[in-house]
Amino acid sequence: MQIPWRAAPRAALSSPLTLLVSVVTALLLSFVVAAAVMHSAASGSAAIDYQQDRLCTEALHPSLEATGVPHEHVPGMVRAIEESVPDRAPLIGTYLREQRVDFGGRPTDAKFGYRPGATDRLKVLEGGSKDGLWVPRSIAETTDLRLGERGMGGRLPPVTAIYADILDPLPGWWCSERHFVVPNVLDRDELATAVVWLPSAESFAALPPEIAGLTDVTVRFPADPPGTVDEAAALLAEGTARIAPLQQHFNRTISLLDLPVDNARQTVTNVRSAVLPLTLISLLIGLAGVATVTVQWAQRRERELRLLWVRGAGPFALGGRGVLELGLPLVLGGAAGLGTARLLLPWYAPSDRLPPGTVTTAALAVVVVVALSLVVAFATGALRTHRMFQVAQRGNRLRKVLAALPWELATAALAVWAWNRVQHSGLATTPRIGALPRIDAAALAFPLLVVLTAALLAARVARWALAASHRVRLWSKPAAQLAIRRLAAGAGPVTGVLLVGVLAVGTIAVGAAISGSQRTALEVKSGMYTGANSYVQIPAGVTELPEALRGNSTIVGFVKQYERAALVVDPRTFGDGAFPSEVDPALLAQPLRVGDVPRGEVRLPGLPPIEPDAWVPSLPKLGRSGWVVPVDRIGDRRDVGSWYVWSSKPLGEVTEALSAAGVKLSRNVGEKEKAVQGLPFLTIQWTFGFVAALGAVLAVVASIALLLAVEVRRRQNALSGAFSTRMGLGPAAMLRSHLVELGAVAAAAVVVGLAASAVSSGVTVPKLDPAPRLTPAPEVPDVLPLLVTTVVGSVLVVLVAAWIAVRAVRSARIGELIRG
Amino acid sequence: MVEHVLRVREVGVDYRTPAGAVTAVSDVSLDVPARGLTVLAGPSGSGKSTLLRVLSLVERPTRGAVELRGRGTARLSSRARRELRRRDVALVFQHPADNLIGHLDVGDNLRAAAQAAGRVAPVDEVLERLGLPGTAWWKVSAMSGGQQQRLAFGCALARQAGVVLADEPTSQLDTASADLVLETLADLARGGVPVVVASHDPRLIALADTRFDLRNGALVA
Repeated sequence: MQIPWRAAPRAALSSPLTLLVSVVTALLLSFVVAAAVMHSAASGSAAIDYQQDRLCTEALHPSLEATGVPHEHVPGMVRAIEESVPDRAPLIGTYLREQRVDFGGRPTDAKFGYRPGATDRLKVLEGGSKDGLWVPRSIAETTDLRLGERGMGGRLPPVTAIYADILDPLPGWWCSERHFVVPNVLDRDELATAVVWLPSAESFAALPPEIAGLTDVTVRFPADPPGTVDEAAALLAEGTARIAPLQQHFNRTISLLDLPVDNARQTVTNVRSAVLPLTLISLLIGLAGVATVTVQWAQRRERELRLLWVRGAGPFALGGRGVLELGLPLVLGGAAGLGTARLLLPWYAPSDRLPPGTVTTAALAVVVVVALSLVVAFATGALRTHRMFQVAQRGNRLRKVLAALPWELATAALAVWAWNRVQHSGLATTPRIGALPRIDAAALAFPLLVVLTAALLAARVARWALAASHRVRLWSKPAAQLAIRRLAAGAGPVTGVLLVGVLAVGTIAVGAAISGSQRTALEVKSGMYTGANSYVQIPAGVTELPEALRGNSTIVGFVKQYERAALVVDPRTFGDGAFPSEVDPALLAQPLRVGDVPRGEVRLPGLPPIEPDAWVPSLPKLGRSGWVVPVDRIGDRRDVGSWYVWSSKPLGEVTEALSAAGVKLSRNVGEKEKAVQGLPFLTIQWTFGFVAALGAVLAVVASIALLLAVEVRRRQNALSGAFSTRMGLGPAAMLRSHLVELGAVAAAAVVVGLAASAVSSGVTVPKLDPAPRLTPAPEVPDVLPLLVTTVVGSVLVVLVAAWIAVRAVRSARIGELIRG
Repeated sequence: MVEHVLRVREVGVDYRTPAGAVTAVSDVSLDVPARGLTVLAGPSGSGKSTLLRVLSLVERPTRGAVELRGRGTARLSSRARRELRRRDVALVFQHPADNLIGHLDVGDNLRAAAQAAGRVAPVDEVLERLGLPGTAWWKVSAMSGGQQQRLAFGCALARQAGVVLADEPTSQLDTASADLVLETLADLARGGVPVVVASHDPRLIALADTRFDLRNGALVA
């Protein structure tokens, strides 16, 4: 290798600015690509995390349940299970059915059970020794049972502890056993009881024959919750294989991770395909940045390149000279981008857990991108030197052709096509119940294509306007006139910065608006679906709320016949417990029609005939269809289908308060957070969250490009500033002039970007509704904070850029000004 | 033995400008001897620099033919012209700094110039001949303009080019520096290397073995 090429990497040190810009460009470029890979992989982990939050931890590993096993067969069955899965100790629960048991006091029903470790996870109220029976408070109070007493004439072990009944929401260890340990009192009335726990498997096997009937057996395999899709899939596969030999003895196989794994994989596919368009656009912008850096390098090294060319070096050799000088900074920037993407993962991705191999994949993607950057640097260097020296007089035909092509028409056509997809397929249909809708990436690309079209259009209009700006005569306002002339002189960089700026502001706004709309939609739809933050079904006879629930809860009756539903409400307290809605409380004192139900008299079981005059558009639980009856119109509360406590408090506090007040509870309880499958909402939220993050990267690119554009033309600024100053332009007017110039670019980027995003997200948000059967449709959130942030950020960048420009004038040396 | 290193026949160079086509060189025919110092003389704008670029195969003429050592260059590809430049031509620009690679030291500049032509530079010998002994490790920026321009001719020397062309080599130098460059030029010409210089410096013109005068792009008798 000849000396100039061999010395090229060292020559890079002679221009720290080019070095810095090359590193930063490659950093941002590889960050975008690596972040896209990591973000989509992390969305799978987040999807698994979200779904298993809604599942029982102990049952994530496939598990088994058998019902009605003869009691005498249970020990043998347990032994056989333990022997057939020696590699992982199963957690086996055994539960007898409810039986009339004589504890000595008032006769009661009770069910006996044994599950290793159960007594470690109960709240002890009295006693606590683990060598006897553990009796729930509900039974202890009913039968006036005390510690040390032995039921069935002394044939049962002594009572050694009285524990607090297990209430919803259940902790992880109990969750899978809910069906066996939480009595569904309202369903089966007094028959249902909590479990009396025996101290050992042997004592369970030794229960007197008259109460040892049919037994339900649960076999769980506690496992660490999977953090990634691969871990979940491995747990599922491994678990399925493990229980396969046992399945014939059980009548239920529970494989909770089946659907979540599919859903998580679909999420990864959805997110990846949805972020792909903007990632590609960002990649193109980044590569254009590399090309720009190379062009600047070629300009700076023009003397040397010309000398080498005169001495016989060809364009390819000179392009190679560029790669040798810029290559190392680009490679270092690429590595830094990969590191930054990994470090900032918790900030931009929905989960910080990555499946194995993701970082390698991201690294490979970065390698490809860095290689592309090197190819672009080589090609740009070669083309530039070819044009500078070999065909110098022929003019830049390629640039003219590229500039003349109506790119914005092409992107507008794509946007129309994407809008068509939004209209006709939108998010498509779910392939099976509980599964995710297949998100149409083309549909999701619509808002971005609108922003891109607006950006290209803004750049073209700006170029035309600047070309025609020589007609503007504003010499009465020299600051403005000089600003316009400077803008026109730098038309290329100005339109480039404007293009990236509009794209940045637009994508940030679109990303924030759509992800915000999905977050709010999930919250509101869940609230409207459940009716309240939490609900608990209660017996019809409960008319008063416990003290702890007053002011935050309400009692509501619910009647449903076919598709017709009605609520019985207490107008005084409805607003306290119901999910916040815009209903005037005064309206609730009379019968109401809700939404699109027809006028006229309506009869529903348990309710008096009503013919409401008043109407509200929607109401929690009923959505946009139903009726409301004030509670004082009800004759017999028992005729109403079911009664609930609706509360704004968490479920645990509600069940605790009701239980403490002696209210019998059912298993019909719920919470807003877990009522609606939120994954489709989250998928869109994560996708557009990443879009907003990419927008932030583009904003950084636009800001750096603006600052660099000012710094690069430092000498021109110094010269023109010096001349203007000699001609009487004051320092304040000079600052004003630079503020006008840079502010115009920033303001145009902000206004066009926000307008494009407002239009595109305004029409897209209502269409991007993963659960259209639930009301209300998603709405664009309040964008004022975003607006303020964008404006403040832009103002700061403009102030810094103007300061750099003015500093160039003030700090210019005479020698620099008179240099030829 | 070729008597003329360069033969130019009916060469014309036109440039396209917003105001229309401008003729920089108009149907020039001349022969550059294979020995001695040839000067293209003329005032600014007379077309001498353009003609020099054509002679050095840096620029293709709009019309006409240029022969280098008897080989026609009109139909040569860019690659073949580069090959000729690499082996046979050394061009020295007007600005001293344009002829040197700023981030290399003096010795490496000579070595790089020779390497480009596939030759090895006798660095110390060349520097001695230029009157710059002991400067091989100097940074280029440490040299004066005159020293830099002499070093530029040193690079041409190190390349052992078949012809050395120089565009106004003294115009950016003070008198003392220009004198040193003139000495170098005369030394080169005496050494048997054909040297072609475009200049309006009377002292340089006075050194010419062969002189061509240009006015408005055309040769004048």
